[in-house]
Formats: sequence, C-alpha cells, structure tokens
Amino acid sequence: MAHTVLVTGATGMIGQALVPLLARRNDVGAIFALTHASEYLGSSCKVTPVRGDVTAGPALGIAPESSREILDRTDVIVHAAANTRFSASLDEARTVNLEGTKNLLAFASHCPRLKAFAALSTVHVAGKRTGTICEEDLDHTAGFVNSYEQSKYETELLLRERMSALPISVLRLSTVLGSSTTGEVRRMAAIHHALRLYYNSLAPMIPGKPDSLVDLIAAEYAAAAVEHFAAEYFQAGRTFHICCGENALTLVHLLQLTREAFLRYRPAWRKRAIEMPAIVDLPTFELFVRSVEEVGDNILRSSVAIIKHFVPQLGYPKIFRDVECTRLLEAKGLLKPSVLEFYPQVVCWLVESGWGEIRTLAGGAGA
Amino acid sequence: MRYSSMKVWEGRCREGSNSEQGSDLMQVGISAIEYVLGSDRVSVEELEARGMLDSPAARLSEFGFSCARLSRESSYTLATAAVSKLLGTTGVDRTSIDALFYAGATPGCHAVVTPDPLSAFNYPVAQLQYELELTHAAAFGVSQVGCLGLMASVALAKDFLLSCEIARRALCVSADVLPAGCKREMIYNVISDGACAVLLEKECDRNRILAYRQVTKGYYWNSIAQKNEITAAYFPTARNIVRDTLADVSLNSSDISCILPHNVSLRSWEILLSLIQIGREKLFAENIAKMAHVIAADNWINLRDAAETGRLHHGDKLLLFTFGFGANWACMVLEH
Repeated sequence: MAHTVLVTGATGMIGQALVPLLARRNDVGAIFALTHASEYLGSSCKVTPVRGDVTAGPALGIAPESSREILDRTDVIVHAAANTRFSASLDEARTVNLEGTKNLLAFASHCPRLKAFAALSTVHVAGKRTGTICEEDLDHTAGFVNSYEQSKYETELLLRERMSALPISVLRLSTVLGSSTTGEVRRMAAIHHALRLYYNSLAPMIPGKPDSLVDLIAAEYAAAAVEHFAAEYFQAGRTFHICCGENALTLVHLLQLTREAFLRYRPAWRKRAIEMPAIVDLPTFELFVRSVEEVGDNILRSSVAIIKHFVPQLGYPKIFRDVECTRLLEAKGLLKPSVLEFYPQVVCWLVESGWGEIRTLAGGAGA
Repeated sequence: MRYSSMKVWEGRCREGSNSEQGSDLMQVGISAIEYVLGSDRVSVEELEARGMLDSPAARLSEFGFSCARLSRESSYTLATAAVSKLLGTTGVDRTSIDALFYAGATPGCHAVVTPDPLSAFNYPVAQLQYELELTHAAAFGVSQVGCLGLMASVALAKDFLLSCEIARRALCVSADVLPAGCKREMIYNVISDGACAVLLEKECDRNRILAYRQVTKGYYWNSIAQKNEITAAYFPTARNIVRDTLADVSLNSSDISCILPHNVSLRSWEILLSLIQIGREKLFAENIAKMAHVIAADNWINLRDAAETGRLHHGDKLLLFTFGFGANWACMVLEH
C-alpha cells in the first residue's frame, strides 16, 4: 500500500525541495503539506496543501473535516517546520520548535497507521561543545550559541523520551547553503546575510580559528537524504548526521573561496580592495559586537545583529561524524556534492541575483 | 649650497642616488619633538552640554576620553608655536634645516585665507619658512591624508634626506584646529586641536626609522557616507598593515617594546591589540584621556611623552600606527 506522508514546514528551505522528491516516488500515494502560508507547492496531484500550524495545539489548527482523513491515512510524518531564526528569543524558538513538536507528537499518537516520524533537527544541538560530535550524542551541557540550538536540543530530548512510544528518527542537518546545480538559494539564512556583509565591506571580523571547520551542505543532497531516511530506509530510534563531516572546509579556506568567487563573478569588486574579515578569538569578537551595540549607528548595529547569533558558533570548533549516514546514502548512490564545487556556484548566484533581489534571472530566486 | 627649489632637489637626488654611500650610513632618526595643544581644556561632559558630541559623555568616558583641548588660535599659530618651541629647545641652526613639511588634515590648514579668492594660493608652509627664518628649507605641504599627515610627512622627509646626499635635517609639522563650535566627535573618538613638530636628522641614532608602510583604499573616500564601512574595514586592514610592516624588518609582535598609538578610543585599541597579538601593557595610552585625538600629531606626541617619562630604552623597537580619512592606514617601526 502506498505511503501517505504528512509534511510540516512544506514551504521551508528543506520542505520545498523535499515535497517534489516525495511526490515522484511510486510508493508515495499522497502528501499532505501542512502550511500556514499560501505558497506554491508544485503541480503534483499527489500533494494536498493543508492549512494548519504546529503551534495551534494538538489538532494543529487543521479544519476538523480534514483532520480525520489525515489522521486515518498518514503513515509517514516528516517534521520540517521550525523557527530557524537565530535571533529569536528562547520563548519564540520554543513555541515553534519544542511546543510545535509536542503538538505534532500528540497528533501523531492518533495516527493508527503511523510507521515513521522523521524529525528534522540540527547538528548544532551540540551547541558550544567542541571536538568530535557523534550521531548518537545527546549529552550537550556546554551551553548554546543561540535560542535555535537550545530549543532544538530540548526538542531532541523530548523526541528521545517519546521514542519508546512512537517510531521516531532524528535527522540532524548542518547548514544548508543552496542548490548544488544552480546555486540558487530559496531562503536567505544567516550565512547568506553574512556573505552579503562581507561583499559590502561590513564584516570586519569573524570568530574562530583559521582551521575551524564550517559544515555546509547542498539543498538537493539534504532533501534527498531526508527523503531516503523518511520514506525508504526509516530507522526508528536512530539519529543521523546529514552533513559534510570531515570534508567540510576550514574557515580560512572558505573566506578565500568567497573572495575568489566575488572577484570572479563581479570583477569590479576588486577595486574596492575590501579585506577579508579578520579571524579573531571569541572575546575579541564579543568586544567588537558590544562596542557597536553601545555606540554604532543603525546600519552597523543591524549588520552586527545579523551575524552575532550565528558566527560565534565558529568559535567552538567541532567536526560532525557522519560515517553511518554517508555509508547508507552512498549505498543508495547518493553522493555528497563537493562543497568546493557548489560553494562558488552559490556565491555566484548570490552576487548575480543581488542576494535574491533581482528576480529576472532564469530559474532565479522566487521562481 | 642648500636647496631652495624643487628643481635643485631633483638634481641633488640624482646625484645622491649615484653616490657610493651605503644605506647603513644613511640612517635617519628623529632627534626632537615638540608640541602645543589648544589652550582650553574642556571635559567630555561640558562638550556634551555644548552639543558637541554625538555619543553620551559617559560612553566616551568608558572609551577612555576625559576631555578635549580646544584652541582659540589658528592652526598656523599653533604650528608656529610648535616649531619655535622645537627650535628653541634644540638650539638647532635654522639654516641647517633642508626641508620643511607642513601637514594638516583639513583644507583650512593649508591656506592663509584673506577676502581675495586667490588667497587659497597663500600657503602657510611658505609663511612659516619665512617667519622662522628656515631660509634653506625646501617647503612642502602634505594634505588629503587625514590623520596620517604627520606620519606621511616623516616618511617623505626620510626619503628626502636619503635621496639628497648633502641634506642633513628635515622638519615636519602638523597643525589642525577645527572650526569653533563644531562637533568634537568623529567615529566615536574625541578630537582635540594641536600642533606637533618633528625633527629628522641623517645619521641620527635616536628613533631610527626602520620601516614604513601606507595603505590607501580609495573606495572609502567618502568619510561621511561610508562611516560604517570604514569602521568595519579599519580592523582587518590595520591588522594586515601592522603584520606586513613588522615582516618588512623581520620582526614579530613580541619584538615590539611599546606601541605609540593614535589616540582613538581605548576600546578600539583593545580590539586591535588582540588582532595584532600585542599585550595591553605595551600600549602607551596615558595621553588618550589627557588630550584625546590630536588628529595627525598623536603618535609623535606620544613618542615624546613616553621617552620623557622614561618608559623607552635605547634599542627598543617602537610601533606607530595610525588611520586617516582618505582612507589611509599607516604603520612605522622605530628603533629608540
């Protein structure tokens, strides 16, 4: 019998790429795409947009006439809805990430056919831990850089607790940069804004060490991996790292690649002679941020606000082990795109589309 | 024969460059420094009360400033006073000065203005050369490099001395006085009026100039509109120029005994010190509170005062760094 999949966060960065992949599968008969927005969800007849919200209580705000059918038919849930705004308050982040998951778990517990509950998380639940982070690790007591990390960590604790009652798997993603084929970025995240600040000479320094790894993955790879672990090789009780792992680029290499890409795709940028951001220790970065917040004007404050909840993570160098995940995906023929190849493509797309503001590009932003 | 025109200087330079004098014998050092500040000492609280600050006085106090020195005299008067003081304390033969470099950050410092529009051609450097009887000094104005004016002048003066075989001494002076009543805060720094005179001598073993670098990034030419970009560019560019200048003379950060700063905020220096990996104890910061940022003169005022307080020792390697609108970064290494 074909699967019926409920996808939350269907219009998010992963959801947008995931829904078409699921729709193409022969073993998927229907997809309920939960969304609180009226965004385009593709043309597949398998996809039914469902107006709802994970924060709206255990019924998810779904109209009663639809709710019964979804409960009865759903056997796979992919939970991609999240508040990924790093600057959100802890309360705001918890409302969507923790409370929203609680609500969805309550909803799932009424799905009689449920076989798989794939919850998307982040490798950064490791927070301020340093060193090697393994897939099963969930003893993260070093603190967190932002409310997103903390709320997702708390969510994972909840999911672990409920694993005995429901078939739950956790898929931890690292930072999704953009498309490995077109370079397109469907949703701007903190890293894209940070690149824009560098391009515009508003990024003086970045915390970390030159050899700190920056784990980035391509959108297609992330979506395909989620599809695999949700619909094809679901493993209840398991946690997988969908990340770049030991192939991640170092911070200094990433900055050099960024500079090279700016120069290649916007030769006129050269004459600005903008320096690469200095790589500094965390206290120095925090002193700079504090100084700007105390006396800087609005533009500089806004610039700092964009990065201050995100880049401090680079001050806690770590490597995410993804051996098991990579082995399983490679066995399926799903290979990680080379970050050396897709990173410049994404930077090119950002530069040429004006960070998504120029909508006339063929296949460009917002298409 | 001394030099009274550029043409003669050019001729002598060629002659000098063909000479067999090695660079070891052609060292240039700084033998004397004198300065004068605006006579009115005004606290940051008073500046705030007069509407002359953008940031709260309390914040600028946290950043290390306590007052500004405001002048009721013109920049030219201060320049004259600083040079006269130097000539008086050193007793140097005025006719032995081969070149006079006059620096100022603002255009107003480079003209002796009268109602006649053509008075823009009345140059204070010529007037100073005449009035102080520096009759053998070739005169030059150094402008459009902001707070780098005096450091750039010293670098140019050094090159002048090295390229002219018989030249012995050059005198550099900077003088800046902001218009009465204008804001006294620029990019979170408190600005003072003042002038400073620096005497360079060939074969002088005091404060030998070991290295100098200047970086100009014209992209940031609009210092008003690009205030934020300049603030962001300041730190990585500063870090790089310090690193490169030290490398020019095969020195490491740890070889530096003292940093003679431009008197921008202590907070800014704390950040930069971390970037260049030099400890806070090596920063001569005493003058930041006392006199604030005296535009182009800070590094040299600090060199003089640090030496006078006994902080510097023979052979110490000194690092001078400054930034000037334009946008210019400069770094010099001296051996005391």
